[in-house]
Amino acid sequence: MIAVAVLAAAAIALPLVVANRFAIDIAIRVLLFAFIGVAWNLMGGYAKQLSLGHAAYFGLGAYTSTILLIRFDVSPWLGMLAGGVVAMLASLPIGALCFRLRGPYFAIATIATAQVMMLLFLKFRDFAWGAEGTTIPNLGDDPLMMQFDGKAAYYYIALALLAVGLFITHRIERSWMGYYLVAVGEDEDAAEAIGVNALRIKRQIYMISAFLTALAGTFYVQYIYFIDPNTAFSFNISVEAALVSIVGGIGTLWGPVLGTVLLETLSAFLQSWLGSGLGGVQLTVYSLILMAVILWRPAGLIGFVSDAWKRLAPAPAAPVEARDG
Amino acid sequence: MAEALVVRNLSKRFGGLRAVQDLSFAVAEGETVALIGPNGAGKTTSFHLITGYHRADAGSIIAFGRELAGVRPYDICAHGLARTFQVARPFGKMTVLANVMTGALLRDRRLAAARAKAQEAIDFVGLALKAETPARDLTTIDQRRLELARALATDPQVLLLDEIGAGLTDEEAAELVRTIRELRRQRVAIVWIEHIVHVLVQVVERLVAMDSGRVIAEGDPEAVMRNAAVIDAYLGTAV
Repeated sequence: MIAVAVLAAAAIALPLVVANRFAIDIAIRVLLFAFIGVAWNLMGGYAKQLSLGHAAYFGLGAYTSTILLIRFDVSPWLGMLAGGVVAMLASLPIGALCFRLRGPYFAIATIATAQVMMLLFLKFRDFAWGAEGTTIPNLGDDPLMMQFDGKAAYYYIALALLAVGLFITHRIERSWMGYYLVAVGEDEDAAEAIGVNALRIKRQIYMISAFLTALAGTFYVQYIYFIDPNTAFSFNISVEAALVSIVGGIGTLWGPVLGTVLLETLSAFLQSWLGSGLGGVQLTVYSLILMAVILWRPAGLIGFVSDAWKRLAPAPAAPVEARDG
Repeated sequence: MAEALVVRNLSKRFGGLRAVQDLSFAVAEGETVALIGPNGAGKTTSFHLITGYHRADAGSIIAFGRELAGVRPYDICAHGLARTFQVARPFGKMTVLANVMTGALLRDRRLAAARAKAQEAIDFVGLALKAETPARDLTTIDQRRLELARALATDPQVLLLDEIGAGLTDEEAAELVRTIRELRRQRVAIVWIEHIVHVLVQVVERLVAMDSGRVIAEGDPEAVMRNAAVIDAYLGTAV
């Protein structure tokens, strides 16, 4: 509890202390991807449904709010919620198709769904500007339209999103749903033998996960003032969502946050250090470090943190597996 | 006595193999019945059919007046039939307590209530000292105890046990017999697949013997064990 309060205080104070725009920009990216990771982790981590198609929901969120904003003058705040609902509804047919498959086959099917979404938005230029995309009209400093002068406001929105994601995860982890999700992730047949409707719980968590991911999509396009299918449905987003969770610690509350902080920092550092040299060297080094981490700590790096934490504080800080609060 | 479970003319084939043929048997409320037979007789397949993991080609399964053919496993469990698996399937990264709580959550979604009931089931099977152990660290025999506790936490009225006693020492088997007797005292109907017949005869009221997917003998344990067809099934026919 104290650790979380200190962490929150530090996160809130950061923009007041750090004036560097570049640093704040990295911080916003960290918060945003941590949030996407948290959303992914609900389904991919706890229920072990390894989706590689979360870009579908990110993109739907981004496009829903942008279409509502440009065509109907609807505030992106409302558009954000609308995007969440659209993503939630889209997850139902997508889930109905993909949940028939298990393990790697499920992952492959989800990749396809995000690609199909991207193709739809590339081809249908009438309602969504096709391949060239569009810029978001700059309305100046207009909080009601989710547009701000400084970067600090964006930082706080991203921080709030992450806080919401973590709070929802925390609540789920400590409820019957957390137990059911982990049970399904561990052994679906055994879970059904004790009365768990595996399909239903997967569908429910997929809806929550899709909803949250869509919020990130709206925020992102509002932040960069631009949208096109390649950005909104980028495969990188799907991969990043899974990767930060896997590196940090799959199926743990703080795993995606830790993973994002490490990976984004590493990538920013490598880019400024090696980026100007030979093209792609920084990506090679990044990939090698990534492989090393995954081979060396398949359960994620959060293990170090919780081990150290246990040594400092005797009360177990473990997730679902141990006990609830 | 009212029937808890009635299986009628149940059949299942896998390609050319007739795994279960025309299987019929009934279990009364609170009765303990053993399903015996050599390997490949169709015992485990019958369990898979009864608990919804396989869909029967023909026949019916009626529990407490409801047809269960085509019903999903979770729903069958909710209807009061719980099973264990031949090879225990614990949720490895959860503790013993969390495993059993997951079962208890079926009847009450509140964690505190589930914990209390789970604790009870864990004590009952003799795992109290290992409640906080991750399930993957248990021995095979403790994993089977866990599986029994997890099934019991769902409040079953019919319990289907698949070789829960395999590989037990005499002492452990005696303990298991006591556990089963206690369940019978609580009026839980039990269908028990097992090979160790000398243990079974201490507790069960009836034996159902299967071979090649069919019932070959049924009734009083002593009589079934003397039945020529049963002896043939296990030992082969004299040449």
